[in-house]
Amino acid sequence: MKLQAKFALYNAITKIAVILVLGAIILLSLETISSHHLDGRLTKKRLKVIENLSDNEIDSLLRNQHSFTDYNILKDEFIVLNAIPNVGKIDTSITFITERREIEGDTEIYRILNDQFEYNNKRYKLELGEAMTAMEAVKTTIRFYMLIVLIGTLLVTLLTDYAFTNFILRPFYKIIDQKLNKVNDPTSYNYENIPTNTTDFKILDNSINSLMRKIADLFLLEKQFIANVSHELLTPISILSGRLENILAAENLPVEHENKILASLKTLNRLKVIINSLLLISKVENEQYLKKDQVSIHQELLDIYEDLEDRIIDKQIIYKNEIAANFSFTGNRALIHTLLINIINNAIKYNVNKGAITIHDELTLTKYTLTIADSGMGMEKEIVANAFNRFERENSDNEDGFGLGLAIVNSIAKFHQINISIQSEKEKGTIVTIEFPIN
Amino acid sequence: MNVLIVEDEKGLALEMDEFLSREGYIVEHAWKKSSAEEKIFVNNYDFILLDLGLPDGDGFEVLKQLKNLKDRDDAVIILTARSAVDDRIKGLDSGADDYLAKPFSLNELLARMHAIIRRKHKLEKNEVKIHDFVLDIQNHTVSFQNERVPLTKKEYEIFNYLVLNKNRVVSRISLTEHVWGDILEVNSDSNFVDVHVKNLRKKLTQCTKTDWFETVRSIGYRINY
Repeated sequence: MKLQAKFALYNAITKIAVILVLGAIILLSLETISSHHLDGRLTKKRLKVIENLSDNEIDSLLRNQHSFTDYNILKDEFIVLNAIPNVGKIDTSITFITERREIEGDTEIYRILNDQFEYNNKRYKLELGEAMTAMEAVKTTIRFYMLIVLIGTLLVTLLTDYAFTNFILRPFYKIIDQKLNKVNDPTSYNYENIPTNTTDFKILDNSINSLMRKIADLFLLEKQFIANVSHELLTPISILSGRLENILAAENLPVEHENKILASLKTLNRLKVIINSLLLISKVENEQYLKKDQVSIHQELLDIYEDLEDRIIDKQIIYKNEIAANFSFTGNRALIHTLLINIINNAIKYNVNKGAITIHDELTLTKYTLTIADSGMGMEKEIVANAFNRFERENSDNEDGFGLGLAIVNSIAKFHQINISIQSEKEKGTIVTIEFPIN
Repeated sequence: MNVLIVEDEKGLALEMDEFLSREGYIVEHAWKKSSAEEKIFVNNYDFILLDLGLPDGDGFEVLKQLKNLKDRDDAVIILTARSAVDDRIKGLDSGADDYLAKPFSLNELLARMHAIIRRKHKLEKNEVKIHDFVLDIQNHTVSFQNERVPLTKKEYEIFNYLVLNKNRVVSRISLTEHVWGDILEVNSDSNFVDVHVKNLRKKLTQCTKTDWFETVRSIGYRINY
């Protein structure tokens, strides 16, 4: 969830809570106040009734009946007087209750005063009621308006909060987007500050900038280092190989020396390949290559087949290219070529005689998947896990290669956001899956 | 033909000197940018072998200086261990004839020089004769008595490279490197080149006797002409 949405949500929830609590307090106090008020009125009426009480009145009220009931036209007040038997102790306390009563078919809520008193050695029970309907109506209205206010506030708050946080946080999202998300390498980084007057964002912006400067410095330093290493290592190799070639050209060289010099040239060549491989990896990781070529995978595979045809024929390998899609990838042609040729060369090198290599593809909306399957000797699980590390290689009698092929493949793949996975089973073969992203 | 080697690594310059002198070139040296510019100003050269990283400046500046001189046809081959990716493009764009990354084999250097000579002097309508065979440089084909010899791309490249280095022993390593270029891990098993040479020789021998196509002990091959 975005920070902005979280802020808006939090504000909405707190406001709802405040309104609910406020509403509850208002309703409760309203009820207390109105009950109190009614109770006061009922007490006064009782006094009036009891003060004016006389034999005649009681008689006229009860008319020798046990009970007397009266109410006004609108039925919002009533009085009930009952004679009760003289049993036990009389309870003279006044109690109030809120109850639903039916008077001539109309049911309403009343606040009722209960009292018992003695008059001329006779006990009576008095009930005075006053309707609370008006009160209930007020409460319902308040509840209704509260709901409306609640919903209204909720909507308004959500909108205004969202808009406000959006305004406040805009520089923050701009920083995230321009300074973090869109940055792939420090060389194409824009150091211009994002305009904002929020101190925290200024600090964030400046921190990212200074971090980026450090990374850019390191990046440049690495570039220089690579250039220096190339020069300092490759020049001596160049001298040595020239010297050995000149010695080899001498006509009167004894055969045993000739062989030693040849072996030295081979070793030197090996040194050169290793240095160049490591430099290639470093240069790819240092992003020294452009990714602007339209590389047709189909065409690259045809070229690679031509390059490796001799090896395929030599091992009598059945090579099946089942590519169906005509997919082009934007990247560095030379690097993609290197990536593919290394994988296919491995499929040949670690294959068995009369084995097979099958290349298959699949194009979806988001990616282009190339699978290169061989029927070779396969690898153990631990070896697969380490296959992309430098100088890792399958222990075999085959001393060609220096275990850098897959490390090169790995760095090229990362550089192009290509996903590579290896599935392998000992003695059965290896399947390399290459996923080219489509953007 | 005279060659100017502009290279601050004396060891390497001397090896190139020895090699090229044996081939009949007249070799001069310049160790620095300043002396290189002086020499270029005074003399015409057939070849300038130019290192980019010179102690007092960039080899590109020497190249620029040369291009500013009028009526000059000196062929320039850039030799560099500098690993910047765009150097090759920059070098060729600024008028160099070829670009060779260090370390290179001296055979490769010579082959490149011969290729430039062929190109510059438009030798016999882009055709090179070797015994009874004719190499068509433009179309990468070989014919025998006007009949095309069906060579694969690799066999043609090997043949061409050996012809460019004719009368010299070309080692397997150098040949492999030339044919497979800078495919790093792939060119490490050099035995494959023997298979191609064997096939090439078989195809040539089907046309005529090829005792001029020599296998030189364990080193490599030589075409005598």
